[in-house]
Amino acid sequence: MEHIEFKVKWGMVINIDKCTGCGACMVACQAENNIAPMVDGSDKTMTLNWIVVYELSNGKPFPEHEVAYLPRPCMQCGKPSCSTVCPVVATKKDEEGGIVSQIYPRCIGCRYCMAACPYHARYFNWYDPKWPKGMEKTLNISASPRPRGVVEKCTFCHHRFMEAKEKARYEGKDPMKLPEDAYIPACAEICPTGAITFGDLNNPEHKVAKLAKSKYAFRLLERLGTEPQVYYYSEREWVRRLADNYLPNEKTKGE
Amino acid sequence: NWPWIPKLKYGERSQVASVCKLCGAGCGLSIHKVGKRPVTAQGNVEHPLSQGGVCPLGSCAVRLLYRPARVKGPVKNNGGKLEPISWDEARRLLDEKLRGGKVACISGDENGSASELLAGFLALLGSDDFYFMPSDGQVSSIAWKMMGGKGQLGFDIENSDYVLVLGADILSSCGPVVRNQKAFASKKGKYVYAGPVQTGTAAAVDKWIPTYPGQEGTLALGIAYYLLKMGKAASLSSFARVRDFILSKYTPVAVEAKTGVRASELKKLAQELVRAKAPCVVIGSDFGQGSGSFEWAACILVNFLLGNFNQKGGLVALPENKVIKSAPLRSELNQKVLPEFLANVAGGSKKVDALLVYEANPVYALPQASQVAEAFDKIPFKVSFSTFLDETALKCDLILPNPHFLERHDDAYTPFGVGKEIYSASAPVIKPVVNAKPTADFILELAKAMGFDLGFETFEEVLQAKAESLGADYDSLIEGSAYTSNKWIDQDSLSLPVKVLENGLMPEGEGVFLAPVARNYLGNIKQALTPSEVILVKEYELNGKDLYVQVNSATARKLGLKQNDRVKLQGSGRECVARVNITETVMDDVIAAPLGFGHEAWDEYVRGKGDNVFKVLTIAEEKGSGLKVWNRSQVKVVRA
Repeated sequence: MEHIEFKVKWGMVINIDKCTGCGACMVACQAENNIAPMVDGSDKTMTLNWIVVYELSNGKPFPEHEVAYLPRPCMQCGKPSCSTVCPVVATKKDEEGGIVSQIYPRCIGCRYCMAACPYHARYFNWYDPKWPKGMEKTLNISASPRPRGVVEKCTFCHHRFMEAKEKARYEGKDPMKLPEDAYIPACAEICPTGAITFGDLNNPEHKVAKLAKSKYAFRLLERLGTEPQVYYYSEREWVRRLADNYLPNEKTKGE
Repeated sequence: NWPWIPKLKYGERSQVASVCKLCGAGCGLSIHKVGKRPVTAQGNVEHPLSQGGVCPLGSCAVRLLYRPARVKGPVKNNGGKLEPISWDEARRLLDEKLRGGKVACISGDENGSASELLAGFLALLGSDDFYFMPSDGQVSSIAWKMMGGKGQLGFDIENSDYVLVLGADILSSCGPVVRNQKAFASKKGKYVYAGPVQTGTAAAVDKWIPTYPGQEGTLALGIAYYLLKMGKAASLSSFARVRDFILSKYTPVAVEAKTGVRASELKKLAQELVRAKAPCVVIGSDFGQGSGSFEWAACILVNFLLGNFNQKGGLVALPENKVIKSAPLRSELNQKVLPEFLANVAGGSKKVDALLVYEANPVYALPQASQVAEAFDKIPFKVSFSTFLDETALKCDLILPNPHFLERHDDAYTPFGVGKEIYSASAPVIKPVVNAKPTADFILELAKAMGFDLGFETFEEVLQAKAESLGADYDSLIEGSAYTSNKWIDQDSLSLPVKVLENGLMPEGEGVFLAPVARNYLGNIKQALTPSEVILVKEYELNGKDLYVQVNSATARKLGLKQNDRVKLQGSGRECVARVNITETVMDDVIAAPLGFGHEAWDEYVRGKGDNVFKVLTIAEEKGSGLKVWNRSQVKVVRA
């Protein structure tokens, strides 16, 4: 399997202990990436949203029960399961920054990538996007609307990365050394509790680089070897334990 | 490539500031534009209440310009048939109907000058029947006035090192949520939440204490008991009587029986609060309304005992302001209670000829819906100034659409819950996309035509005068820098009537406790679930057209319920149909039900989905104040 080590590796550290499950990230993502509203949202096999806030439970009965929320964007895996199965090279991990791309005009809608992704981070356009009359005027000019029949997913608001690089070049700065917050996806920007921190995991000056190394940081299904670029943080052991398939006798990461 | 997919329309990008009016929180927004079109709403980094963040509802602001449910122009409701009329005709009609009649007004804008203007207009018409939609903020004002307090209460949680939240879901739906979330994110100490359901607040705070719905006041007095035992005192003229009453009636045993919170836990809370440098006790109903002056008096008392009143990080009293001469102050307007008014109209003891409804949906979002409907039927002429075709608009004779807040001038003055005086104002970001006219300007025109002088020609002048009276620069306000001050109001002698404290001892009725759950992504009492938020609704809140209510496994066993069972919740003579979801996020003997469903109007994104839990909330009368309360409703659960 082809694997590139990038100089710049964009990543997130999501602090689950700060997430109130408000859903602002999900709405901001829809607006930023031109995701059309749906009339029925309850059949979750047909809905389309690049980031989803899941509710976690410690599985205990009241009053020992605890709840936590976990926002799940695309993990931008270092070793993606999706891109390797794509028969038409519609998804690749080959650009500096380490974001897994998704090229809609190439996608033939076979959905192998959806089957391969262990995080359910990929979505299929079962329908053509439909905005109520006039609402198409609020589309973001940086993101092209997709037709039915293609797969899509979170791209860390890749267009914002392009814009940040362009701005750096224009200002005579190094686009490969973007300062903290010069590039930030819509979900991280909007989060009212600052639960989502975004930056270059390889840049020691960026907050994420340090946060990702914290004792309480973990990734989802880490032992699959997908090397996600999205990290989570929780001081609650039961939350960390849910992140991977632990055997009963195994110690949770961070303990 | 795909001609049936909308084409992007390019243009120059820019950003302008605005102030969100979708709820009472008054967040500063940054609206991103392409050419003349607003495209997205983000938090204004410079604004103290949003600090760059925004809630899911605020995030939908721009898309709501094109919500299908928008009222496209002024219409006359001719027995269900909406017939267009002109604005001039509408003004003439109002002129004729309001002259000499008894006029009332219901406003859903709790912090804007538009409400001040409407109240001022009513006063000139010789009426004081101005009512806000009920909220915890209003009840706090009633309790504070009862105690002899001045100004508006607020919580300086930014500077607190120990925040104890009783009931109010401050990180999900209650009060200035984004500001609360920001304060929580940069917390220096501990947050503890007591409530019946593991809401967004419960999920994130350091500790959740399960407590029955509507028992926040009793819980506060349970803590006060220990504080009094420690010798803490409050400067109240009735302090000795209050102290003796609490020490004899709110014993840990009595409080545990009512709230479900153990004595050891109460004691620990009291000790932790005393140990903190700047403790703050916040109270409120778990769904933002229906509490009584009892809860607020109890909350004020505990904060007084902790010695944090008008202290950094504590409970504070903020100044008030008004510029419309004929209008009363907000704290005076808050003394008038809407459910009481509607009960009197329904009962025939109050006669009203005309009703103006501004930015409110009382037909949907009030308890005991049958009484609201009855009151509406008794008022011969009703006007709705709603942006959207909601349940209330459909019940009115005239619908005169107010522009979306991005299309009009508007402002927000010290939203309830914040710890300092704040004023924000905004100018239109886009011309109205429908034939709407700012209600405030329409009222100014109407008043002039009727020969009244409100002192201003346009609503913008009102905002300018307000800015000036505060010593703020209007232009910078419009550009997104809010005015803030750190003035706290000193108080003269305060007292607490012991009679009000008896409310926590009242026996409970029959049935299961109902805990309505409000979340911003389910819409709120003004705005129905928005198109963009449809996919945010969880499977355990709504599935297809079925509303889901939550009970834990122990309660389910007790009631003989299984997962997905169809049930009816019965209360106040009405019922609500739902399915059962068994989850451990709810405490024993409580049924949690999401608010925001069961809409009959609006558009396909909400219409006919689920059922409206407001219908089964029961209004009770509070002892000592006569206030209407509905924060401890109980329901009967029967199989459907």
